[in-house]
Amino acid sequence: MQRSNSLLAKIYLVLIFLILYAPIVYLIVYSFNSGGTMNEFTGFTMEHYQNLFADKRLLSIVLDTLLVALLSAFVATVIGTAGAIYIYSVRRPKQREHLMSGNNLLMVMPDVIIGASFLILFTYILPVPLGFWSVLLSHIAFNIPIVVLMVLPRLYAMNPSMLLAAEDLGASFGQILDRVILPNISSGILTGFFMALTYSLDDFAVTFFVTGGGFTTLAVEVYSRARRGVSLEINALSTLMFLLSLVLVVLYYSIQMRDARSNKGGRSHA
Amino acid sequence: MRKLLQATGIILVASALLLLMQKWLMPTAAPVAGANNTIYFYNWGDYIDPDILAQFEEETGYRVVYETFDSNEAMMTKVAQGGTPYDLIVPSEYTIEMMRDEGLLMPLDHSKIVGLENLDPRFMDQAFDPGNEYSIPYFWGTLGIIYDTRKYSPEDVAQWRNLWEPKFKNDILIYDGARESLGIGLLANGHSLNTKDDAILHKVARDLTGFMANVKGILADEIKMYLVQEEVGVGITFSGEAAMALEENENLAYHLPAEGSNIWFDNLAIPASAQNPEGAYALINYLLEPEIAAQNADYIWYSSPNQAAYDLIDPKAREDEMLYPDDEEIARLEAFQDLGQETTILYNDLFLELKLAP
Repeated sequence: MQRSNSLLAKIYLVLIFLILYAPIVYLIVYSFNSGGTMNEFTGFTMEHYQNLFADKRLLSIVLDTLLVALLSAFVATVIGTAGAIYIYSVRRPKQREHLMSGNNLLMVMPDVIIGASFLILFTYILPVPLGFWSVLLSHIAFNIPIVVLMVLPRLYAMNPSMLLAAEDLGASFGQILDRVILPNISSGILTGFFMALTYSLDDFAVTFFVTGGGFTTLAVEVYSRARRGVSLEINALSTLMFLLSLVLVVLYYSIQMRDARSNKGGRSHA
Repeated sequence: MRKLLQATGIILVASALLLLMQKWLMPTAAPVAGANNTIYFYNWGDYIDPDILAQFEEETGYRVVYETFDSNEAMMTKVAQGGTPYDLIVPSEYTIEMMRDEGLLMPLDHSKIVGLENLDPRFMDQAFDPGNEYSIPYFWGTLGIIYDTRKYSPEDVAQWRNLWEPKFKNDILIYDGARESLGIGLLANGHSLNTKDDAILHKVARDLTGFMANVKGILADEIKMYLVQEEVGVGITFSGEAAMALEENENLAYHLPAEGSNIWFDNLAIPASAQNPEGAYALINYLLEPEIAAQNADYIWYSSPNQAAYDLIDPKAREDEMLYPDDEEIARLEAFQDLGQETTILYNDLFLELKLAP
């Protein structure tokens, strides 16, 4: 019984992965198609990669997109972590609940509404010209609630006696933060950062409204190219981005594994 | 804590690296002292040969910031909202009317445009912009029928009315647009594409239910792909799309039905909020040069309204009746006009009902 169960589970898993990755594999294969379209595979070529590297505008958009993603995720992580610690520290449950629903409301709000509100904000209220700064600010804004959601559970998983003990021993707030809270929630902070990074990378709806002044992101550019049929250059680009994220994920896990192993080693020695 | 600081360092270093790469990739041209030399060009995605912009920058010293949109409505919203620096935009015909009525366009000073006479008089002075006061045509095309020549003969699709015949059952793909789709019914019944009469529109919508029985799907850009792969026998889409499909599959043909059809125009226009109209005129003049217009047409493979460029365009495109139909056929074509909000809503509602009908 146990065996057949695990066999079923394996088949299920393989199936899920097939469904998830088939389109990506398909896309990657066609990035080498000499036919120029996704209709039929006619032969191998590197032409689309050459075109991609010759297309400076597209490459610069990729760099801009990554820059916005990194910076917005970073700032949002700082603000979101501080916000999460504040929400955690609020004593009255009613107030905490209100703060949390305020945070969650931003999560469930349709992107189009958020984007339109930012457009109004930046054109009528705050005199920020549409471009790099407007995109960065709005990405920071929609990334903050995500970070809060990732960090809070780690805070609640902390043993509150540690905080009390630190206070009793005369630690200042800064010391408690530095020695107790941050080390305990660092994995939540990192997860929050990476979630924010991916949100920023693939956001189209909000970004569409606030791009301008020659600044645009990959999502907006690919979408507006789609009217004439997406060229295989985009396939080539997607392939490279997929490989890059694969490398990053592998790197991230190997670092985690190494940390986990060295932690274990340390403890056995003690 | 140390781990977090390390991570912060990595992120900041990565950002700095990205910035450096960006600077290396796109060195910002030294601005000409005192002169406003940046032109913001807001165009459809992939709708100009990028080499042309590079040549223009090199020859004139202007710097072009190229930005793209994917629909007239999106572009209009951005321009109307303000806070955008666009100097040159490319709206389609009915959008010209809407933008003009809202005061979003700058009247063109024809004395500053060199090469206006290069344009084909047939495409000037259209109903959506009399006297070309606000716009000049950039590219144009038609809406027609692509069909599989092995399944159907030219007589089978000679008229829009033929598409009601049962032999097309479940074999037609139509373009997902209220005006394009109701237009088929209007033309088949001998009405104008810009009909505003409620009674006629309701009648036409009822008539179209018979046609919808033959429709397999309502799609957009994918239509050409399905035709190339021979999933369906008939597709109703634009000439530019058709050109791409015909390139891929030699069994396909494109046809403008006898009752007439839609002709569309994408036009160059200067928004009222433009910061650098002088630069916009310089770019317009450059695009009007016959050699440049031909180079652009060869890249985009749509129909150029530039008569002086005609002889320089790739003969394969020039001799293609799909891209450049003869006078007689052009005379039967009609451009969309702005219908006003109420009628637009009625079109959308009727189209939605057609889509929902079993």
